[in-house]
Amino acid sequence: MLVRFWGTRGSLPVAATASIVQDKVAHALLAASGRTFADLDEARTFARDELDFATGGTFGGATTCVEIEAGHPANGAPYIICDMGSGLRGFGLDAMRRCAEGHARVYHFFMSHLHWDHIMGFPFFVPAFDPNAHIVIHAGHEDAEEALRRQQEEISFPVKFDWLRAKIEFRTLKVGETYQIGAVQVELMEQHHSHSSFGYRFTDAEGKVVVFSTDSEHKMDRMEGEADVEQFFGQADLVICDTMYSLADSVSMKEDWGHSSNIVAIDLCHGGRAKRLALFHHEPVYSDADIARMHAESVRYEELTREHDPLEVLCAYDGLEISL
Amino acid sequence: MQWSSTQHQGCIVASPDGRVDEATAEAFTEHLSSSVALAADSPGKKLIVDFAELDYMSSRGLRALTLAKRQADAAGVAMALARPNEVMREILAISRYDKLFAVTDSIEAAI
Repeated sequence: MLVRFWGTRGSLPVAATASIVQDKVAHALLAASGRTFADLDEARTFARDELDFATGGTFGGATTCVEIEAGHPANGAPYIICDMGSGLRGFGLDAMRRCAEGHARVYHFFMSHLHWDHIMGFPFFVPAFDPNAHIVIHAGHEDAEEALRRQQEEISFPVKFDWLRAKIEFRTLKVGETYQIGAVQVELMEQHHSHSSFGYRFTDAEGKVVVFSTDSEHKMDRMEGEADVEQFFGQADLVICDTMYSLADSVSMKEDWGHSSNIVAIDLCHGGRAKRLALFHHEPVYSDADIARMHAESVRYEELTREHDPLEVLCAYDGLEISL
Repeated sequence: MQWSSTQHQGCIVASPDGRVDEATAEAFTEHLSSSVALAADSPGKKLIVDFAELDYMSSRGLRALTLAKRQADAAGVAMALARPNEVMREILAISRYDKLFAVTDSIEAAI
């Protein structure tokens, strides 16, 4: 099983400005002080291996889109995609390339919810214009079709939903059921968020487990219910979890905004004895340095509160691939 | 987790002992609530949670502090956290709870 992150930012897409790039270059020049490089490849190696990630890279700015590769594409395994944020555009272009190499043109989407930042990529999803593509949109919500059609009404977008050429189906999934879809078994969990959201637990034929849990607030006055969440995260090889705010923000000025914190995510993963946590749905006002600091603090909190096997705390970024 | 409460210069000083995790968070929450009620009847109308004997606290304990602070605000009680150990000081900083609560190095400084 392989997890590929196409969009990791929360709420709103963001892009680096000229001053941000200049700042990164300035930091890189300082770090390279006194060094010379024979060619571009040697300089690239330095940037990749010796600069900290916030200087030599970026966490990216596309909104939620995560691909789960399970089964064997050569045997016809379909695409599995969580959410349709602005990161979906990049996935769609890459999928067209892979389809040209023989990948099945079948796409199974699993929708956490239907807020704008989680569906805005669909009008730009090139495979939706492929008459040979089959797109199945799974959601816990019954109004997924309404949400996708509405954002392509003329007042919002020039291309109507009905003009799309792919065969598009909508399927509503139920909590408590286990579904075999493509090369994975899928279960879902309802979460606390405006208009509700759903987390998904994917298990492949080898027993590898990925949990996708974004846009989920864990309320102070319902902490007893967190045992169910820990069970849903139980023994997962990877939990992709909403860690948008600090705990203090999530219980004060940003309470009821529908999001979780790095601290609660780590506690829930510890409780479920999960193996890895990917910090996800990054706050759009955070710089790369802010996210890197949050990651370092999360790793430290995990160390301070660990009672069992270590939980590996990763920080998701656009382009990250994790093999399980 | 052990718990004791005393009064210093009109303020209630509540002293948890041990760790606050999933197993003890509920008791911690109840003790905090009782201490807020005690502080509301005290002349200083202040609750100081003495962290000196507290090993560490997970998010459940931190959120219990927030619930207690709401109860305290409604009752006109001020709350402060005193004498955290190095681990707790780090946890308060990582969670940004040091922005929500006054954190002091001594009981006297919290009074």
